[in-house]
Amino acid sequence: MLLRFSIALGTMAMLLRAAICAQADEPVNFETEIAPIFVQHCVRCHSPENKKGELSLATFNDLKANEYVVPGQPEESYLLEVVSPVDGEPPAMPKEGDPLSANEVALLHRWISAGADWPDEVRLEPPVVSDLNWWSLKPIVLPPIPQVNASHPIDAFINAKLAQQKLVPMETADPLILIRRVTFDLTGLPPTPEEIDAFVEENNANPEKAWSALVGRLLESPAFGEKWARHWLDVARYAETHGYDKDKLRLNAWPYRDYVIRSFNDDKPYTRFVEEQIAGDVLFSDEPDGVLGLGFLAAGPWDFIGHWEVGEAKLDGRIAKHLDRDEMISAVFNVFMSTTIQCAQCHHHKFDPLRMEDYYRLHAVFAAVDRADRIYDGLSPEDQRQRQSLLAEINALQDEQERLNTRSQRTVAAGVSGIDRRIAQLSSEFGTTPQPQYGYHSQIEKTPSVAKWVQVDLGEPQPIKQINLIPAFDTFNDIGAGFGFPVRYRVEGSNDPSFANGDVQLLLDATDTDQKNPLAHSVAIETEDTASRYLRVTATKLAQRRDDFIFALGELQAIHAETGENVALKADVTALDSIESGERWGRRNLTDGIYYKEVSNPEAAQELAELKSKRAAIVRKLKPPEVDERLAEIKQSLQPLSAKFKQLPAGELVYAATTHFPRGSRFVATQGKPRPIHFLHRGDMKAPGERMFPGAPILWNDAAQEFFDQPDYNEGEARAQLARYLTDRNNPLLWRSIANRIWQWTFGAPLVGTPNDFGRMGMQPTHPELLDYLAVRLRDDPDQSLKSLVRLLMTSQAYRRAGTFHEANAAADAGNAFLWRFQRRRLTAEEFRDSFLFVAGALQLDQRGGPSFQDFVIEKPAHSPHYEYHLHDPEDPAAHRRSIYRFVVRSQPQPMLTTLDCPDPSISAPYRDESTTALQALTQWNNRLVEVMSRRFAERLEQEAPADIDGRIDYACRIAFGRTPTESEREVMAELLNSQGSAMLGRVLMNASPFIYVE
Amino acid sequence: MSFDRRDFLKQGLGSFAGLALADLLMRDGIVHAAPKPSTIQHHPPRAKRVVQLFMAGAASHIDMFDHKPLLDKKDGEPWDPGESVELFQSQPGACFASPWKFRPYGESGKMLSEIVAPLGKVADDMAFIHNLVGKTGVHSQATLLQTTGFNFPGFPSAGSWISYGLGSDSDNLPTFVVLPDHRGFASNGAKNWSGAFLAAEHQGTVIRPGNEKPIADLFPPPSDFITPGSDKAGLAALEKINRAYAAERPDDDRLTARVRSYQLAAAMQLSATDVLDLSSEPQHIQDLYGLAPEGPGVDDTVMNVKAETEFFGRKCLVARRLLERGIRFVQIWSGNDNSHPRRNWDSHEDVPRDHPPLSLGMAHGTAALIQDLKQRGMLDDTIILWTTEFGRMPCSQGSTGRDHNPFTFTNWLCGGGIKGGTYGESDEWGFKPLDRNHPTEVYDIHATILHLLGIDHTRLTVRHNGIDRRLTDVHGHVLENMLA
Repeated sequence: MLLRFSIALGTMAMLLRAAICAQADEPVNFETEIAPIFVQHCVRCHSPENKKGELSLATFNDLKANEYVVPGQPEESYLLEVVSPVDGEPPAMPKEGDPLSANEVALLHRWISAGADWPDEVRLEPPVVSDLNWWSLKPIVLPPIPQVNASHPIDAFINAKLAQQKLVPMETADPLILIRRVTFDLTGLPPTPEEIDAFVEENNANPEKAWSALVGRLLESPAFGEKWARHWLDVARYAETHGYDKDKLRLNAWPYRDYVIRSFNDDKPYTRFVEEQIAGDVLFSDEPDGVLGLGFLAAGPWDFIGHWEVGEAKLDGRIAKHLDRDEMISAVFNVFMSTTIQCAQCHHHKFDPLRMEDYYRLHAVFAAVDRADRIYDGLSPEDQRQRQSLLAEINALQDEQERLNTRSQRTVAAGVSGIDRRIAQLSSEFGTTPQPQYGYHSQIEKTPSVAKWVQVDLGEPQPIKQINLIPAFDTFNDIGAGFGFPVRYRVEGSNDPSFANGDVQLLLDATDTDQKNPLAHSVAIETEDTASRYLRVTATKLAQRRDDFIFALGELQAIHAETGENVALKADVTALDSIESGERWGRRNLTDGIYYKEVSNPEAAQELAELKSKRAAIVRKLKPPEVDERLAEIKQSLQPLSAKFKQLPAGELVYAATTHFPRGSRFVATQGKPRPIHFLHRGDMKAPGERMFPGAPILWNDAAQEFFDQPDYNEGEARAQLARYLTDRNNPLLWRSIANRIWQWTFGAPLVGTPNDFGRMGMQPTHPELLDYLAVRLRDDPDQSLKSLVRLLMTSQAYRRAGTFHEANAAADAGNAFLWRFQRRRLTAEEFRDSFLFVAGALQLDQRGGPSFQDFVIEKPAHSPHYEYHLHDPEDPAAHRRSIYRFVVRSQPQPMLTTLDCPDPSISAPYRDESTTALQALTQWNNRLVEVMSRRFAERLEQEAPADIDGRIDYACRIAFGRTPTESEREVMAELLNSQGSAMLGRVLMNASPFIYVE
Repeated sequence: MSFDRRDFLKQGLGSFAGLALADLLMRDGIVHAAPKPSTIQHHPPRAKRVVQLFMAGAASHIDMFDHKPLLDKKDGEPWDPGESVELFQSQPGACFASPWKFRPYGESGKMLSEIVAPLGKVADDMAFIHNLVGKTGVHSQATLLQTTGFNFPGFPSAGSWISYGLGSDSDNLPTFVVLPDHRGFASNGAKNWSGAFLAAEHQGTVIRPGNEKPIADLFPPPSDFITPGSDKAGLAALEKINRAYAAERPDDDRLTARVRSYQLAAAMQLSATDVLDLSSEPQHIQDLYGLAPEGPGVDDTVMNVKAETEFFGRKCLVARRLLERGIRFVQIWSGNDNSHPRRNWDSHEDVPRDHPPLSLGMAHGTAALIQDLKQRGMLDDTIILWTTEFGRMPCSQGSTGRDHNPFTFTNWLCGGGIKGGTYGESDEWGFKPLDRNHPTEVYDIHATILHLLGIDHTRLTVRHNGIDRRLTDVHGHVLENMLA
């Protein structure tokens, strides 16, 4: 450091000299002269919360420790070096913002020279932006309508600006263009030739009346909600899979989509629409929409693994939960408030009045909710109550189960993993594959107490010294080795096959107590001088399979007393009964010499047995019997509860924010009890500060900041408070935000270019008075009707202008920010798809609402679903619905639509891109669905259009372009139709710019 | 009737391609669909392009690149790192020595394991980082962190940023190409190459070497009305209509761009077909990459080295051909998402069973790519980054598995102005960074790559929803000592 410093010193010293000389003798006051410099320039990035370069300027410690400041020695103090310009280059610090003035550097120099006094009690805090002096935060007042020559208020605002900018408004567009424009903007579909003709006729009679009737008709069409819900679902980051790993389906997400469509079509008051999406369950508890609206909070991505498999007992699980809340909070503030609250996670917002505390207060608002299926309808209040109380009981037991299991697994794993590895080595070295000839298997019984026998015939009485009973092996129900081995049994010898005579010799009696299952080991029975022809095994208590009972045995061996050979090999077998099932189970399998061996090598088998008993001993020691007993008790108590729960009616479900749901692995409902939320220094889960309670940022003067200050708050009430905060009539952001969006969705471009950010990093409105005028109109409208606002905008002349080019205008305002003409736009991805289905006559317009159609095939649904679009049959009419009803997958977005700029639903998308790429040309030209629809289009022409070439081309163009062809188009199409036929004509029309652009 | 790309190409690169070819030749080659974005460069670049090799499922650093003799000594003994350990799936088991032997390679004597032995030949070119730390042990988050710099979705992939920053160096092919594992996408799927809030042209384009349809919609589908002849006639008509429409609206260059986009698509049919045609590669090159004689159809009923070498080697060879044609960023995936039987690196159950085929296949193909780029003089300005979600634990899970280790793991880089060596060590267990206060983060690696491409990572920004977004968020330091 010293070296680097001395190189820079010369330049710096020269710069400083003048200032130093002037004021060298005056004392420096830290608090009034030095501290403001640090606060203004340094502390934002160098504080305990945000310790860039491992340096904090909150107290003197770091400065001193790192030799940034050496009291009394400015030449040794690195601080001066980094804030001073070197050879004309700007200083290294501050990285963001203006450099220190020469005077400020001189002050620092003097302060250090004088001993760098910094009183211990003085602690510097990052500056907080608190001023509300920014356009979007100022109270909204109804602006006067400009006095210009315009009868429509919107035109008054627009024309005043145009006059101010010396721009000439363009003429009204042709009626053919107008009806196509407004039909796409309000319904997302092209007008039909009949609709066009009717409008043109009415327009000739009375243009104003015709236009207002047309706008009115379209606003009342159910297609309006289908088109405008798309706008909302874009900002609401709606999709129907979780995203992340194992991208699972949300089969009950669609009711939220239908709710949004219905809300637009029913023209739901905006306040109500907002409140339902934050706290509808609390504020409108009697109505399904109160719950359906909560689909908004849940619409974004969700980390299945982090919640389900990891869980909140682990740090990773808590991080997942934190990110989950962050996602919800960001969505709420980006969408409703056009505010980037997420910036305040690690530091106070650098530009807007948002403190870290505000951010964590919002975490507390959502501290009890998760994303899961929730009942919105179809259940009586009594059923609901019963469901919840059962759930609470089940959850409590499962919590305990999880706790006990985790604790014992932890200790056991540490104790046995060395042994397990050796076992695995032995198995991999000497392991065998089970042969299909399993053994003997009795008939199945309902109770264990039925006696069953099986016996072998050795041909003649033979001296036997040992009998081996080898258990069967079957993977059924994961039983494996020891399958069907009797719990109680006896072994006898006799020379009478019926075992009825007195010569029956009892060789083993294991009938008075339950026997431990020998699993992979054989049971060796030493016999003394028996010489029987028949050997019989009788099970007196059968083995449990799942819900039933059986007797099975893999092999029976009888070892000859002298030769040591197994004389039972290939011996005849009889039994009381037998299932005789295929290759696997049969009497003769008992003596076929084929049986399950865990390992092929006897020494390995020996070692394996020892390892296993050692392992069992360790497990016994580490997992006390009380734990097992308690676990068994829990299991037993859970059974009837779960059965009862399953019997309750399920109700109608929506994927939404919720506090009650059945536990899924480690994903556990809070039952409404908020998780404790702490302030996190630097946003780090490992650096928690004080406990935070629900609240919101002060973004207007009398805004509520703290909703609660005690841990026993009601989570629903906290969300209700937030909902009321949002819809407060003094909230300047909510009304401006939605007014801007309505403008954008009508005119194509917003008045504020950053619809999700009205802060100091965002853009400013081109027409601030107009924006406020719209905001007030909506807010103060007793119906808070979005449709009225849309109607207002669309009946302006500004909306009806032609797209004509004007050189002088373009020179001053190339981007048409002041709306001197109408801006041509490309169809969105969904409009393109809907439109070509529509003109082909294939769009299933009446298939409204309900579960989404899937235009993919799911492979491997059980684990990580693969969404295979190329396997889907494009002819499938079930998928020929409007794109709003498409099942939206996060991990594998629809390829064609994605190429056409359909946005990523992982994050709020306030506008659509309009890029032009070669891949778009490929997908529009070669996609299978386009091919299918080209044929459908041809069929439609066959049926509906006149037979002559001209008539046919006219018809085709009226369907696709909303007008008859130009002469040059007609010429090209006639040649194509003649040589290639109607289907190719259809394909070309669907790729043609007059189809793809809206004028 | 059905016909495939061969039919198209047989007919003198008919229809789509043929139509535009004349046009292309007339203009002496090149058209641009959109005005070529100006390159954002802040200083002279050392490198021009990047290959990212991604081992989906989390490859085990201590079984491949990060040799830990202490584990050999303590094998089977209880593992006590002196602090409590919280694992993703399991409870910590005993010390688990790598089942493979390590030996020194190159002049540096870098210790590499048997299952990456083919990389020994190029060991001196590789720059290892053994103290890389992640944020969590969750696959999806960790994958996103490595691909986009954020551990939650919604952000552009590094390849998209580079496409955005440098623009295209190839007019006939996409800037950012993704070669996924043919068995399926890794966790997050297409999010790993999403352009997010950058324009659609910056998202990764999926190419599937060895597949019947390597690029979606590159050629027409089977159809009873589309033939090479009718296709050509249709395109000719379309071009006339779109051209006339654009001509009447001369102020709107989007419309002419749209006309050009169809010409560009035609050029892409040619280039893409050419780039994927490996038959023009001499046998010794095919052998270098370990292509199997039976091709992509090689038997892999049970995962095996031969098949994995074919799969990965083919992608590496295609990558080289893409790089030669000016592609900026190629992302190659090894392993799919979690499914059964396992076909990825997530060896919870059995490292000795699951790691060798994937690792040897990867090492073979990667070594070939490095050597091949070198012999063509392209290694100097091509950066190769090997990465994965996180590492695996020094203790066992169950008997021979290993759980996730996000606390430290290995990345390595190579080529493009990077100096071989080891930068950043892990502790004696391979459990955490040796110097816990100075770990390396993904931001540092991204910052270094951007730096080598001539970009200051703090200045490549795009404002989205009110925030100036960067690939490196608010972090990242260029790893200066790694620069040659």
